[in-house]
Amino acid sequence: MLRYIIRRLLWVVLVLVVIVAITYSIFFLLPGGGSDAIANRFAGKQPNPEIVAEVKQQFGLDKPIYVQFYIFTRNLFLGDQYGWPGLGKSFVLRAPLKQVLVERMWVTIQLAVGAAVVWLLVGIPIGILSALRPRSIWDRAAMTFALIGISMPVFFIGPLALYVFVYKWHILPGSGYSPIGEDGLWQWFNHFILPWCVLALLYAAFYARLSRANLLDVMGEDYMRTARAKGLNERQVIVKHGLRSSLTPLVTVFGLDLAGLLAGAVITETVFNLPGLGQYAVRSVFSLDLYAILDVTIIAAFFVTLANLVVDIVYAFLDPRVRYT
Amino acid sequence: MSQVQQTEPTLEVLAPLESGVEAVQGRTPWQLFYTRFKRDRIALFAAGVVLLLIALALLAPAFARFVVHRGPNDLNQGYTSDISVPLLGPSKIAWFGVDALGRDIFIRTLYGARTSLLIAILATGISIVVGIALGLMAGFVGGKLDTFISRLIDIVLSLPLLLLAIGIGAARIVRGQTLSLREREFVEAARATGYGNIHIMFREILPNMVASIIVVATLLIPQNILFEAALSFLAVGVPAGTPSWGGMLSDATNGALYRIAWWMLFFPGMFLVMTTLAFNLLGDGLRDALDPRAGR
Amino acid sequence: MRGGTIREESPEFGWTDAFDPTGEYLGTAWGMMDQLLIRGLMTYKHVDAAQGGDTPVPDIASAPPTVSADGLTYDFTLKDNVMWSPPLSRAVTADDFLYAFQRINDKKLVAQYGNYYCGVIKGMDCAAKDDNQPISGIKVTDPTHISFTLDQPTGDLLYRLSMPATKAVPVEVRGCFPNPGDYGVDLISSGPYMILGQDKLNLSSCSTIKPISGYNVDKGMTMVRNPNWSAATDDTRAAYADGVQIKINSNVDDSFNALENGDLDVVQGTPPVAVLQDFETNPDFAGWLHADQGDRTWYVTMNLLAPPFDDIHVRNAVNLALDKAGIRKAYGGDLRGTLATSVEPPTVLPQSTQINPFSANTGSGNATAAMDEMKMSRYDTNHNGVCDDGPVCQNILFLGRSTDPWPNMNQVAVASLKPILPGLDLKEVDTSTGYTTLQQVKKLIPISMVPGWGKDYASPYGFDFFIFDSAGIACTAAVNYSLVGMTEAQATECGVKPEYDAYVQNNGPMPSVDDKMKECVAKPADQVDACFAELDTYLMTVAVPWAPWLWATQFTSTNLKTVVSYQFDQNAGIISYVNTSVNNGLTPQNVA
Repeated sequence: MLRYIIRRLLWVVLVLVVIVAITYSIFFLLPGGGSDAIANRFAGKQPNPEIVAEVKQQFGLDKPIYVQFYIFTRNLFLGDQYGWPGLGKSFVLRAPLKQVLVERMWVTIQLAVGAAVVWLLVGIPIGILSALRPRSIWDRAAMTFALIGISMPVFFIGPLALYVFVYKWHILPGSGYSPIGEDGLWQWFNHFILPWCVLALLYAAFYARLSRANLLDVMGEDYMRTARAKGLNERQVIVKHGLRSSLTPLVTVFGLDLAGLLAGAVITETVFNLPGLGQYAVRSVFSLDLYAILDVTIIAAFFVTLANLVVDIVYAFLDPRVRYT
Repeated sequence: MSQVQQTEPTLEVLAPLESGVEAVQGRTPWQLFYTRFKRDRIALFAAGVVLLLIALALLAPAFARFVVHRGPNDLNQGYTSDISVPLLGPSKIAWFGVDALGRDIFIRTLYGARTSLLIAILATGISIVVGIALGLMAGFVGGKLDTFISRLIDIVLSLPLLLLAIGIGAARIVRGQTLSLREREFVEAARATGYGNIHIMFREILPNMVASIIVVATLLIPQNILFEAALSFLAVGVPAGTPSWGGMLSDATNGALYRIAWWMLFFPGMFLVMTTLAFNLLGDGLRDALDPRAGR
Repeated sequence: MRGGTIREESPEFGWTDAFDPTGEYLGTAWGMMDQLLIRGLMTYKHVDAAQGGDTPVPDIASAPPTVSADGLTYDFTLKDNVMWSPPLSRAVTADDFLYAFQRINDKKLVAQYGNYYCGVIKGMDCAAKDDNQPISGIKVTDPTHISFTLDQPTGDLLYRLSMPATKAVPVEVRGCFPNPGDYGVDLISSGPYMILGQDKLNLSSCSTIKPISGYNVDKGMTMVRNPNWSAATDDTRAAYADGVQIKINSNVDDSFNALENGDLDVVQGTPPVAVLQDFETNPDFAGWLHADQGDRTWYVTMNLLAPPFDDIHVRNAVNLALDKAGIRKAYGGDLRGTLATSVEPPTVLPQSTQINPFSANTGSGNATAAMDEMKMSRYDTNHNGVCDDGPVCQNILFLGRSTDPWPNMNQVAVASLKPILPGLDLKEVDTSTGYTTLQQVKKLIPISMVPGWGKDYASPYGFDFFIFDSAGIACTAAVNYSLVGMTEAQATECGVKPEYDAYVQNNGPMPSVDDKMKECVAKPADQVDACFAELDTYLMTVAVPWAPWLWATQFTSTNLKTVVSYQFDQNAGIISYVNTSVNNGLTPQNVA
C-alpha cells in the first residue's frame, strides 16, 4: 500500500513536470507569446532594443527556453529565494507570486465550497425525490430543470441574475468581493450568494441526474429485494440501504468536481468580479505574466491529480480487489 | 456508458435507417432504435429544433441580404452616436435591437449560430477521431501502449485546457468499450478466421461502437458550443468582429451594457441555451433509444 | 474643508513600472506621486489649465533658479525645512536630488524618459553601471545648493525638472534597489502624504527594508498624512483630506456602481456607456461627471513613404475632407473634446488654436475643397478630384481600432475620405496590435487612426519630440509613425531604402523638424512657445504628417454628496487629490 502511494505521488510530480513543459511550449510557440513579446511589453512606452535586452536579462528570458524550463521546474520543487514551493516572481507586480496566489486561492475556496454546499443541498434531494417516483410529473419537471441547468452557461445566467437582482430589483449589492473581515458577515454573504447559486446551478443539475440514475440502479439490486422481502417498508429500505450505496459513487465525482473548481472558476470569477485564481489566470494570460500563468496552471493540475490520487487511495482501501498498479 | 448490442451490426445498416424503411425481415438493432426514437416526442422535438437551427445558420446570409438588408457587421451610427440617446431596442427596424455599435442583433445572432455550430461540429469531429484512434489502440493493443496512452489521457485531463480534455474524454470511453468488446465471441471468431489486428479493430470492434460514438458526439456538441462561447466571452476565442454568441454576450456585459440594453444579453443568450438544450435532449433521446436501460 | 478620506477605485495603476519614480511611465502614477508623495525642485500648482496648472513653479527650490547668461548653468537654492517622512525625519538635501539623477543615469534602472536629461546635463549618458556614479554636470556645494551644467541651452529645463524621476530620493536607499521598479514598494515620502505603514520601515540596512504595508500593486494603496510635512513649506498642495485610498478593481462597472451608491468619492476615466447615460439623464447625478482638457491629441497619421501619401496634396486633401465632428459624435459627442486644427493641444501650446491651415474644413469635412486639392495631385490623372492612378489608389490600408466605439468612428472617417480616396480599405485590429504594427517601420502602414498622443510634460518639446523627431524612428519601435525627417541611414537600416529614394525623387528632400526642434529647445524659456508655434505651422503646412481631429478631454466622476470641492490637476491629467476636499469624515483604511 505504502509503495503504491509513493508511486502515485511520484506520478503527480511527473504530471506536474509534463504540464510545465506543455505550458512552456504553448506559451513560446503561440503567436504573441515568447521572450520577445514579454520583454517588449515590459520595456515601456518606447521599447528600444537596448531596453528590451535589459528587460530580458532581468527577467531571465535571455536564456534558451529549455534552460528557463529547467530553472523554473527546479525552483518549483526545491524552492526559490521566496521560499517553497518556488513559484517565482510576477513581471507585472514585480513581487513574489506566492502571497498573491494564496490570497486569491482563499477567494476561490470560498466560492467553490459555498457553491458546493448549495449544489449538494439542491441537487441530491431533487435526484432522490425523482428516483422515488420515476416518471411522475415531479420527476419530469425536475429532470427538465436539470437538463436546462446543464445547458445554462454561467456567462449568460450570471449577468441575467445581476440584471434582475441588482439593477432591476436592487435587492443585492452587485458584483465584487467583500472580505468577511472588512465589511462584516452580511455584506460578505450578499456578495457571494449570487455567484454561489449561479455556479451551483450547473452542478446541481448534474448531481440531480446522477443521484437519480444511481438510486434507480441500486433499487433493482438483489439486496434491496432481500431487504424488502424482510418486511422493511419502502422508506426504510431506501434510507437504510439504497441511499448509502447509491451516493457513494457521488463522493468520488464530488471530489473531482471540487478540485476542478479550486483550480479556478474562470467564468464565474470574471462575471462576478471575484479576485480569485481563475480571474487571475485570465489576467495573466492577457498581460503575458509568464510565471503567473505557469503557477496557475500548476495549481490547477495539482488539485486535479491530487484529487484523483485521493479518490484512488480511498477506493483501494474500500475495495481490496483494486490492484495497486 | 453502458454496452450496446450483442449482435453484429455494420455500418451498412445505417443506409436503410436513413431512408426510413420499416424493415420486416428480423429487426436489426438499428430498427429497434428507430422505432424507439420515433416514440420519444421530446427527442423528436429537439431534433426538429436542431434542424431548424442548422437551417437558420445556413440561411443567415440570405436573411442578411433579402430580409433585413443588413450584414452582421454593418454599423448604423445613427442609433448610437450620442451618449444620452438610448440604444435602439427590439423594434420593426431591428427585430432584436442593436448593440452599442449599432449592429443588428438579429442578424448577428444568426451568424453567431454559424460560428457556434461550425466550430462545435469541427471540434467534435476532431475529438472523436482522436478519441477513436487513441482509445482503440489503448484498448485493443493493451499492455505498455495502453498504460502509456492511459497516462497521457490522465495528464491531459488534468490540464486546465478544456479543449483537449473534452476530446480526450472520448478516448476513455472508446478504450473502455474496446476492452470489453475485444473479449467477445465475434472477435474471437474473426481472429480464428485469420483476420489481422487492423481488420478486427476497424471492421469488428469499431462498428460495434458506432452507436455509443454517435451518442458521445451528440453530447459533445453542446459542450463544445458552450466551450467556444466561453472562450469568446473571455475574448480568447474567434477573432474580434466575427459574430459569435459568446462574443455578443461579452459585448453585453462589457460596461454592464445590458443594464440599458437587455436585448444584447437576452437574444444571443437564449439562442445559446436553446441550442445546447436541444442537443442535450437529442443526445439523451438517442442514448435512451439505443439502450433503454441507460440513464433511466 | 479639512478631513475625510478620498475613496477611489481604479482598474490598475503603475502596472508597467511598479511606482518607482525613476522608471514609472504611467501618467496617473506620475500625478499621484507628484501631488501626494514626493517633492522636487519644481512642481505644478495642481490646478486646472485656467488657473495655470501647466506651468512649473518652485517646490523644494526656494525660488526659480538663477540661470547663467549663456543658459548653460542653473543654480538652485533649496528650502532647508522640507522634511522626509518618518522614520527618516530629516531635511531633504541637495544630495537627495543628486541621487535621483544618479538613478536616472543608472542603466539597469531603465529610466523611461532619461533622454530628457542624458545628453542634456553634462556627464549624463544613462549608461552608468550603478546608482553611485558621479555626474560632472551636477554640483552640490552644500545641503541647500545644487547646480546643473548643461551641454547646450535648454529652454524647457524647468519642465523637465518637475518630472517624477527628478524628485528627491533619500540617499539612504542607495544600492538597495538595483532592479527597475523595486523601489516602488518602499517609496519614501517628502510630500503631504505617505503610504500607510511607511513610517515603520527599517532603513538601517538594505536587507531590513521590507515592502510598505499600505501598498500592494494587486490590491491598492492607502496614503495617510505625513506628520513631518508642513504647509508653510508648500504653496501648491492644500492637502485637505486626511488620506487617500485607491483600491484596485478590475471591474469598472462595480466601481461606478459603488460611486453611485455613495461608497466611493472618485472614479477616474471614461465611464461605461450605461453609466454615462445615468449621469446625463438622471438629475440625481447632475454635475457628477467632469470633462477636463486632457492634453492629448487624436489624429489620423499618414506615412510619407507610402504612396499616395508621399504627395503633399493627398495629405492636405485628407485634412480637408476628414469629418472630425462626425468622428467625435461617434466617439461620444462634445464632452469628448475640442476639434483639433493642429498638432499641439492648446493647453500645451496656446498658439495652437491660431494654427489652422485647413480652415476650409470647419469640422464636418469639406469634400469640395478636398477634391480641389486632390486635383493638384499627380495621383489624380484626370484631375477630377479623385485618386485614380492605378494600383497606388487601390486597396489603401486604413488601420483602425476594433474596440468599441472605434469601429463606428473608423467608418465615419473612411466615409468622409472616400470621395477623394475611394480605394481606402479599412482593417480593424485591437489597440495593442495596432500600435505594434505601426511601430514596425518596414510595414509602411499608409494611413491609420489607431494612435493618440499625450504629452510627457506641458511644454511643446515634451509633446513633439518623439513623435516628429527622427529620433522617434527605431526600425521596430518607431513612434514617429509618419516617418517625418527620416534619414537615409535610417531608411537603409529599416529596409525601406527603395521607398525612401522614390520619395526623394518624386517630392524632393524629406521634410524634417530635427533642426528646428533643437533650435526651439535651446531658446530661452519665454521664447520656447513662439518657436514651437513656428515648428507646428511647418508641420501643418509643409510636412503634414497628420490630420489631427480632437484635443481630447479627460473624464473624472465624483460623488457630489461627499466631494465638496473638485479640482483638476492639468499637468497630471488627473484629479487634484491635494486640492479637492471631501466631507465624508472617514479615517483612511488600509486597502492594500
